[in-house]
Amino acid sequence: VARPPFWRDIRVLRVVGQVVATALVVYLLWWLYGNLVASFERLGIALNFDFVTSQTRFRIPFYPEFEPSSPVWQMLLVGIKNTLLASIVGVVIASVVGLIVGVSRLSENWLVARLATIYVELFRNIPPLVIIIFFGFALFFFGPFPLFAESWELSIGGNNVLILNKDRWGVPGVTQTGDLLVFWVILLVGNVASYLVWRWRTRVFDNTGAPHHRLRWGFGVLLASFLLAYLATGTPIEMSWPVISDDRRLYEGGFAINWGFISLTVALGLYTASHIGEIIRGSILAVHSGQSEAANALALSSSQRYRFVILPQALRIALPPTINQYLNLVKNTSLGTAVAYAEITALTKTSIGNGRPTFQSIVILMAVYLVFSLVISFILNIVNRRFTLVER
Amino acid sequence: MKRSKILAAIAVLMLVIAACSDTGGDDDGETTTTDATGTTGGGDGGGDGGEEGSKLDAVKEAGVIVCGVNETLPGFGVIDDEGNYSGFDIDFCRVVAAGILGDADAVEYFPLSAEARFPALQSGEIDLMIRNTTWTAIRDGQEGANFLHTTFYDGQGMMVPAATGFTTLEELANANICVLSGTTTELNLTAVFDSRGIPFNPIVFEENTQLRPAYEEGQCEAWTSDSSQLAAFKASIEGEGGEDQFIMAEIFSKEPLGPVVADGDSAWAQAVEWTIMATVQAWEFGIDSSNVDGFESDHPDVQNLLGAGTDEATGLGLPADFAVQIISQVGNYEEIFNRHIPAIGLALEGTPNDLWTNGGLQYVPPYH
Repeated sequence: VARPPFWRDIRVLRVVGQVVATALVVYLLWWLYGNLVASFERLGIALNFDFVTSQTRFRIPFYPEFEPSSPVWQMLLVGIKNTLLASIVGVVIASVVGLIVGVSRLSENWLVARLATIYVELFRNIPPLVIIIFFGFALFFFGPFPLFAESWELSIGGNNVLILNKDRWGVPGVTQTGDLLVFWVILLVGNVASYLVWRWRTRVFDNTGAPHHRLRWGFGVLLASFLLAYLATGTPIEMSWPVISDDRRLYEGGFAINWGFISLTVALGLYTASHIGEIIRGSILAVHSGQSEAANALALSSSQRYRFVILPQALRIALPPTINQYLNLVKNTSLGTAVAYAEITALTKTSIGNGRPTFQSIVILMAVYLVFSLVISFILNIVNRRFTLVER
Repeated sequence: MKRSKILAAIAVLMLVIAACSDTGGDDDGETTTTDATGTTGGGDGGGDGGEEGSKLDAVKEAGVIVCGVNETLPGFGVIDDEGNYSGFDIDFCRVVAAGILGDADAVEYFPLSAEARFPALQSGEIDLMIRNTTWTAIRDGQEGANFLHTTFYDGQGMMVPAATGFTTLEELANANICVLSGTTTELNLTAVFDSRGIPFNPIVFEENTQLRPAYEEGQCEAWTSDSSQLAAFKASIEGEGGEDQFIMAEIFSKEPLGPVVADGDSAWAQAVEWTIMATVQAWEFGIDSSNVDGFESDHPDVQNLLGAGTDEATGLGLPADFAVQIISQVGNYEEIFNRHIPAIGLALEGTPNDLWTNGGLQYVPPYH
């Protein structure tokens, strides 16, 4: 067979096309960068990252440990930590509420199904920023809670278990009273032991068919190791109960959750839950109806049918689109600045306003979110691959 | 086959983009070099190039000035019921337009948040910015900004609800203090409280529209800002039936507020500078909007300012009658001040904003 001339040879064209496209993209980026450098030079603005080692010189809201003399990069670390914290709590709320809503939408109970539908349509169709501001305003600014000095204190046995106000809620925490190294080592050993016990029970189940009780065994070992570690190292951690200071402006002990954090995580959790709920609903519907018919034929109860037959299959389908929702939630925490929550975007904006170079600060911010998203999708993709049904 | 077609389409698209950007790149490159020589004051050749690239000519060509403003600050910049911008800072945008273009209304207002203001200036999106911006060394240096004649001498203060009875900063130990992000106020707050060893918790908001309800509803015990802003919000809160407010006597920073242009264009900077200063000069000479028509004086500086004296060109690139246009269309400094600032509870007399002959700081170089 005679080969066509090279300008009509698909194999050549493919390679040439890709090389040309790549070269053009690289050139475009290079030109944009050159343009930027030239503009900055004209304006006499330095294009370096030296500022990250200079002093921050401002305080971080609800983070009294931070000293204004610390360098900017430490301030950024606090922002990253706050972003992570809000993301994790938001993801937990979104997952739990999303699962409930998704299942409820398919409920045969008319009221439950309708309520779930209303929930989804309400939250899905409002921009997250508006929901966040609404929670901040409705719950805290104009909400039912008293001022900090007049907090509602709920105490059991003389210890405050919950303090509510419009500023920051107090909950019990733990404080360290001794050395924790040995404690952590024993706990780590306990974790490994618990995993091994889990594997052992699984093997017993696979080999003999005897009930595995993996959960009971695993957690039993974990709890035992915790108790052992706690007692063996001389009770190095103690409960710390929140108490309001004499000047009625501070907590002594306990753990404080500020209103911005609550507004942000609850709002984003509920917003994302409306999307996850729809994903769950779709995934349940995607499980072949023969599966639930088979479960019915086996006389499984409705909850058993969900737990053992439908959800294990539906959640596999739901995982990839849910990863996207998690990523969105993480990125949406950048809206926390609306409720004065000091996450990385809010702190970067403050930093820019106080004279740090805008362009470089935004570059750092972009890099942080990029790393966040890539790491999350990397981990969840591994999980996804692990759970994907292996078809034979 | 299909794939290669798509690839080919992408390649063509890329070529087109590259071609467009190529020409753009060359143009930009040229301007950059001439501007660079202009600013470094290099060879003679740079002279005409720099003149050509000046914003002054671009503005005259366009017939309109893009002015970056704050539209949420009572007294300085607000949008009134009819949708018009008004305020002290707004009037100075009008002053520049009247002086350079002969028409005070030839202004396009560009509302800017505190964070967005310097990028907007650097990128050339706005021609100048009059947006209660404090002149500081780091902004002058790192942000590529060029600060001009200070129009308002301000200082940071602290406001608390009057019912609390607080009068000193020490009484705010461990309190929540509301502050706007992206302003010098945060640094001043931290500096003054830390230097006195007073612990505090800042609550940082991005917009006054969120900060104000937070303060009024008790999310924070105190509100710190430039005292002019506090006075404005005090008047506004009390006027709308809110709680009585108290502004502490202590002023703990210097906040010179004034117009800002981008670095590297001295022709434009000087033109703006002299239009602004003309309002103070007119005040000093006793010229205002009511008497500017036919104002008689033998003083050569007055004649120069009003363009009636010698025909000597100042070389500033301003029309001969620029001061007349400014004063007749907008007014002198005193008129502008009294139009907006007393309404928010601040007086002119005895403050740094008074004329130097009255013991204030408003002093401008002579016009001759």
